[in-house]
Amino acid sequence: MKDIGELIFPADLQYTESHEWIRTEGESVKVGLSDYAQDQLGDVVFIELPEIGESISRGAEFGTVESVKAVSDLYMPVGGEIVAVNSTLEASPELVNKSPYTDGWMIEIRPANPDELDDLLNSNAYLEKLKG
Amino acid sequence: MTCLSAASIGEDLQEQRELKKTRLYNWHTTQRANMANFGDYLMPLWYPSGVRNEHFAVLTSAGIFDTSHMAAIIVEGADAFDLLQRCFSKDLRTCVGKNRHALSPGKCVYGVFLKEEGDVIDDAIVYQLHRHLYMVVVNSGMGSELILHLAAHAGDGNVKLTDLSDRLGKMDIQGPLSARVLEKILEDPETVLSDLGYFTFRGHFEKRSLAAGSVRLQDGTPILLSRTGYTGEFGFEIFIQPDRFVDLWEMILNAGTDYEVKPCGLAARDSLRTGAGLPLSHQDIGPWPFIKNPWHFALPFNADQTVFTKHFIGDKALLKLNTPAGTYGFVGYDLRKVLIHDPAVVLTADGVQIGVVLTCVTDMGIDRVENRIYSVGSLDKPDDFKPRGLCCGFVKVNTKLNYGDPIVLKDQRREIKVVITNGIRPDRSARFPIKEMMSPGKH
Repeated sequence: MKDIGELIFPADLQYTESHEWIRTEGESVKVGLSDYAQDQLGDVVFIELPEIGESISRGAEFGTVESVKAVSDLYMPVGGEIVAVNSTLEASPELVNKSPYTDGWMIEIRPANPDELDDLLNSNAYLEKLKG
Repeated sequence: MTCLSAASIGEDLQEQRELKKTRLYNWHTTQRANMANFGDYLMPLWYPSGVRNEHFAVLTSAGIFDTSHMAAIIVEGADAFDLLQRCFSKDLRTCVGKNRHALSPGKCVYGVFLKEEGDVIDDAIVYQLHRHLYMVVVNSGMGSELILHLAAHAGDGNVKLTDLSDRLGKMDIQGPLSARVLEKILEDPETVLSDLGYFTFRGHFEKRSLAAGSVRLQDGTPILLSRTGYTGEFGFEIFIQPDRFVDLWEMILNAGTDYEVKPCGLAARDSLRTGAGLPLSHQDIGPWPFIKNPWHFALPFNADQTVFTKHFIGDKALLKLNTPAGTYGFVGYDLRKVLIHDPAVVLTADGVQIGVVLTCVTDMGIDRVENRIYSVGSLDKPDDFKPRGLCCGFVKVNTKLNYGDPIVLKDQRREIKVVITNGIRPDRSARFPIKEMMSPGKH
């Protein structure tokens, strides 16, 4: 297990207390799981993602991530329409472990209310939460 | 993300000071294993290479497990046989091989210790060391409880009970290349290994023991080497004095570099043993009668499987039990699991609730091709076989089921369809003849 000091939390991303990361790219945001979450889960073996076009509200479940030891829910960091899903993860779920912030991205959302982004944690605040 | 079963990991680390550590604790943490509480010990769940690689190592090369959290008891004296015959579920006069030989020095046997009401205290392997000397290996933390149980039934018989918990190093090397690795570290490996059959052992971990000379590492350290394990795959359990334990662990990893031998944690051990159809004590067997389950081989049935060949503690309760309830193995159609602590229940295909899920894991080394399950260890697997894994485990239900019956497992997240089975991972190597597993020319 990595020490918290060894985990990477890019400063240009935002985070949730439920360990999703959010990258704003123009009108939409990409979402994935943080380095801390993938390290805790261990080998990710299966991911269930929503359909493109679905609208899901903030805090609602958008999918599940299954590792060898755990099954966990994934939550919408902001409400909105799913405009893309990373279908590569179906065949290669291990990308969530290998590249959590790049190839391991999960969904792209077009936020219904961009103000909700203001409520997310920056990397320092997320790290503080992890240190408890 | 909420981690339901991984949530306990953080809590466990806060309790760290109260938890016991094996001699390998520093090694595990230096290697950055994910650690968790298991049976009051802080044990590795997996190492950074990941549980999938560890599971595969045991199916295709070899993996080593720190199992020194397990407890060992020495049962010694003129009445040791009678005490074990009274308390242990196997008939020591007929428990060895198809020809039903008696247990003898150098042989060991798997069974359970039951209470009068037929409930399981723990499962165990009993090793006969000498005529009046046995070693009983049980799960972590169970040493003192089993000693109390045995002492209560020993009466004024001539039996001495000694708890070796935390005074013994124990590790398992499991996987088809295990013998080839041991060849590199044993003194005179041909003599030691070439006739070591399944559930036999030789040597001793104490220098002063008469048997100690028969198995030594190349540096002279005596070990007890047993052709057993709990993964369903070919391999060994090794007992050694604790002060040599870490050295042996590193010696095996160094010797196994060419074979890509991997240290393995409890998560791989759990998925391997489930795929092999073996129960986890206090989860798949426990405080309910040990009968109508997949493990009748642990009971002292006669050759026809109709009556018990001896009386033992718990036998009357098992024999008079009149219920359709039972425990069954199951296997699914993909790798998705339900979480047993969710809790997970069992439904018939018509949606009637009939029981609970005891174990549900993914055996990552198996998959279905058309209507058949193959393992990466199957010799006749399809050329392009790349298993994604299948969900498997055990259910406890209140009705009689048959192999092939479909059932549904349900937790708060999902319902998955699985099928009752008498075998999960096929083509396991545990019983392969040892001569086929050694290097060419070494036997």
